[in-house]
Amino acid sequence: MTEIRLTVNGVEHAVDVDPRTLLVHAIREQAGLTGTHVGCLTGDCGACTVVVDGRTTKSCSVLAHSADGARVETVESLADGDDLHPVQRAFWDEFAFQCGFCLPGMLLTARELLESTPDPDDEEILRALNGNLCRCTGYNTIVAAVRRAAQEPA
Amino acid sequence: MTAAATGIGSSPRRRDGAELLTGRATFLDDHRPEGMLHAVVVRSEVAHGRIRSIDTTAAESAPGVALVLTGEQAARHAGPVPYFIDPAARGGNRADLRCLAVGKVTHAGQPVAAVVARTRHEAHDAADLVRVDYEVLPHVLDAEAALAQDAPRLYEDWPGNVVMHNRYGTGDPDARLAEADTVVSGEIRIARTTTAPMEPRGYLASWHGDTLTVHASCQNPHQLRWMLATTLGVDEGRIRIVTAKVGGSFGLKMQGHPEETLVALLSRLAGAPVKWVEDRREALLAGAREQTHRFRVGAMADGRIVALVDEIVADIGALTAQAGWAMPNMSATTLPSGYAIPDCRIELDIVVTNKPPLAAARGFGKDAAHFVMERAVDLVARDLGLDPAEVRRRNFVPSDAFPYRTSTGLNIDSGDFEGLLDKTLDAVDHPGVRRRQAELRERGRYLGVGLGFELTPESSDSPGTFVSGFDTTTVRMSVTGMVTVLTGVTSPGGGNDTGIAQIVAAELGVPLAWVELVQGDTDRCPNGFGNFSGRSMVVGGGSATLAARDVRAKLLAVAARLLDTDDVELRDGVATGGGRELPVPEVARALLTRAFAIGDIEPVLESTRAYKPGNIDHVPDEFGRIQPYPTYSSSLHAAVVDVDAETGKVTLVDYVMAHDCGTMINPSLVEGQARGAVTMGLGSALSERLRFDADGRLATDRFKSYLLPRAGDVPLLRMVHQVTPSPFTMHGNKGAGEAGVGGAQAAVANAVEDALAPLGVTVRGVPLTPPAVLALIDEARKGSS
Repeated sequence: MTEIRLTVNGVEHAVDVDPRTLLVHAIREQAGLTGTHVGCLTGDCGACTVVVDGRTTKSCSVLAHSADGARVETVESLADGDDLHPVQRAFWDEFAFQCGFCLPGMLLTARELLESTPDPDDEEILRALNGNLCRCTGYNTIVAAVRRAAQEPA
Repeated sequence: MTAAATGIGSSPRRRDGAELLTGRATFLDDHRPEGMLHAVVVRSEVAHGRIRSIDTTAAESAPGVALVLTGEQAARHAGPVPYFIDPAARGGNRADLRCLAVGKVTHAGQPVAAVVARTRHEAHDAADLVRVDYEVLPHVLDAEAALAQDAPRLYEDWPGNVVMHNRYGTGDPDARLAEADTVVSGEIRIARTTTAPMEPRGYLASWHGDTLTVHASCQNPHQLRWMLATTLGVDEGRIRIVTAKVGGSFGLKMQGHPEETLVALLSRLAGAPVKWVEDRREALLAGAREQTHRFRVGAMADGRIVALVDEIVADIGALTAQAGWAMPNMSATTLPSGYAIPDCRIELDIVVTNKPPLAAARGFGKDAAHFVMERAVDLVARDLGLDPAEVRRRNFVPSDAFPYRTSTGLNIDSGDFEGLLDKTLDAVDHPGVRRRQAELRERGRYLGVGLGFELTPESSDSPGTFVSGFDTTTVRMSVTGMVTVLTGVTSPGGGNDTGIAQIVAAELGVPLAWVELVQGDTDRCPNGFGNFSGRSMVVGGGSATLAARDVRAKLLAVAARLLDTDDVELRDGVATGGGRELPVPEVARALLTRAFAIGDIEPVLESTRAYKPGNIDHVPDEFGRIQPYPTYSSSLHAAVVDVDAETGKVTLVDYVMAHDCGTMINPSLVEGQARGAVTMGLGSALSERLRFDADGRLATDRFKSYLLPRAGDVPLLRMVHQVTPSPFTMHGNKGAGEAGVGGAQAAVANAVEDALAPLGVTVRGVPLTPPAVLALIDEARKGSS
């Protein structure tokens, strides 16, 4: 066991990790933030997506060790208290989720896209979302939500 | 949409939206009680073999290990897992199924032992140290090969590998085939796919003395309780099942899996809470469908279909106590779908092979009937040189013929199939697509359009099962006017809780925000059957309506006294009458705190009611047919595809679904269900396939090799609604959870064949992956040269 430091949603955590511990497990089980989900552990589904030092990252494909000192943001950081982020509001209004398990990846990916590309076309939206699987919605409403969020003031 | 629109037919947002969007929702794996241990299942590495011995010594002494359990040991503590649908009750063969294999394994991936340890890593490490010595037996991975007399036998006391053989249908199809102007025939193979919800399956069991609590990612909490009481020999009243948030299920999480008993037993033996969550590799073991059909269809020159004969061989893998093995029955009985063909014969063999079992899957076998029937109709059209749309029109059960009993016994409640056809052709601009197709063909490009009709029997009540076709709901108003709804139906993510809350709020005349829903807790909710077969709004909504009406009647009676008038209305949380207004919470408080002043009205604002829809009949008719479904949704799908003949890649250009599920409670939730089911069908039509190596081990064990549709693969799925209310359900609604899987498969397959018509291609199965499409093109070229 080695101690690493992670700043998760602005809170500093010192956590003991095994060399094999994945970042997703450190976040869920040691930082105690279970909004980030485990869907495949092979980097394919995106349910474990977090933001590491400003970039969306599949946290199942990162060893906790290699994230020592990193600044991590999870889906829990999106809303400001009861005030939902425009992306969250758009997903709610557009029925862009059903079971909600894929949401951490979908929401953080959508926010990242809109930060770099405030008015994306459909192809840009689809390319951004392609790394995240959803089995419930068929994606149409997710695309519509990203479009709606782009039209709303941040 | 205004904030006030929350009644039946409006689409208020999901009531649990904030919880899910902010990451606060608690899924199974998010529970971590103090002292919790982790379980890992050791699975068979051979497809068929006898277990000679299991050496657990090294595993037991590995760091952090609390317990290692083998099948022999488990069998001393837990009995056989009862079947969700018992094959014996349907005249079939059964086997004694245990939570861990005893003596013999019948598929690679079968649980043979389990390890419990402090951490997940320690459990995995110790599981690797469990040594299982197998006497490897010859195995069979193909259902047709399994039918051979000398095939390896999975269950040695059976006469073969057939769970059951059934014949369905009425009339004299052979005579009709002989009289027909043309007979088309074909063989269709539907590959093995899987449901793959994003949240894998899992259970967390904790014992406190002799009481057991199980948190489960499961669709049927009451059935899980009943089953655990049976396998573990525990009084059912001492078991509590909580299934609150489930991350998608699609049938996979119906009750009946071996790990349910296993995890509860491990917790009991370890004396600590034990959690097991399957990994994706384990999740992908579960099959959803795999069938071969050989059909003959007779038709007259005008396109009228006069006979259908279909021989189905369904590969269910090894037998399971879960409902999955029984799906092929519905493949047979859903034929001939919504077409008026009185002369049918469907022969069905349900066959076991040394592959992992099927688990129930959205579509529940009905999808295969749609795929085969829609291929057959297109082949008739092609053979006779008729428009496929017209052949459908000529054969649909006419709108004035309902209720209509099909040759296989289903009693279709209602519908307007021609109306769906007209709406679909209009929405997809059928003549326009044909014009574009002709233009593109000039330039050597292949555009195609395909239709797929789907008749979706929903809300089943099948004999010989753990479950029934009714459900139960309690509606309770508190002294503050707040409403709690406790229902036996569960929501794995589709949002039926919002729909049920809408119904209750509308019945009681209170704001939607006053209504709280409780689902998936056997200590709180009335006995019920959970989620399957598109039933939640039919029977959950129906029973909630009855219970809410009882409470409403009580509120009206109390308000009438308080307002001194018999003419009271409840709306927006206010009782109005005699020119005065009284907030509903004051009415509730009056009854519940001043009962003696109110007089002879019993001071209870609560009702528990069950709702049994009509049209269900288990008494076999003169042909032995039963009628297990109250209501039948219908839909017509049109897919437009572009096929690259060089690479074999199929690109979806447009998609229309005209959908009729009767009255829609919340149209946005209905569309969500439909788009999800269609997308699942698109995946199985184009990219998804579970493959096994020659030794029966799963080769497609991750999402890099088992390819779900991604955002860029799915075009805008355009929805058109038609509302033909069911005469047999409370609100005229029909199931909306499954329609789309079979229709999408069929529409895509027909579109690919249409696109490649200049090459003379005939589609014989799904998925139509690029290599499969190239093989079809090669075959057609060779055939014509």
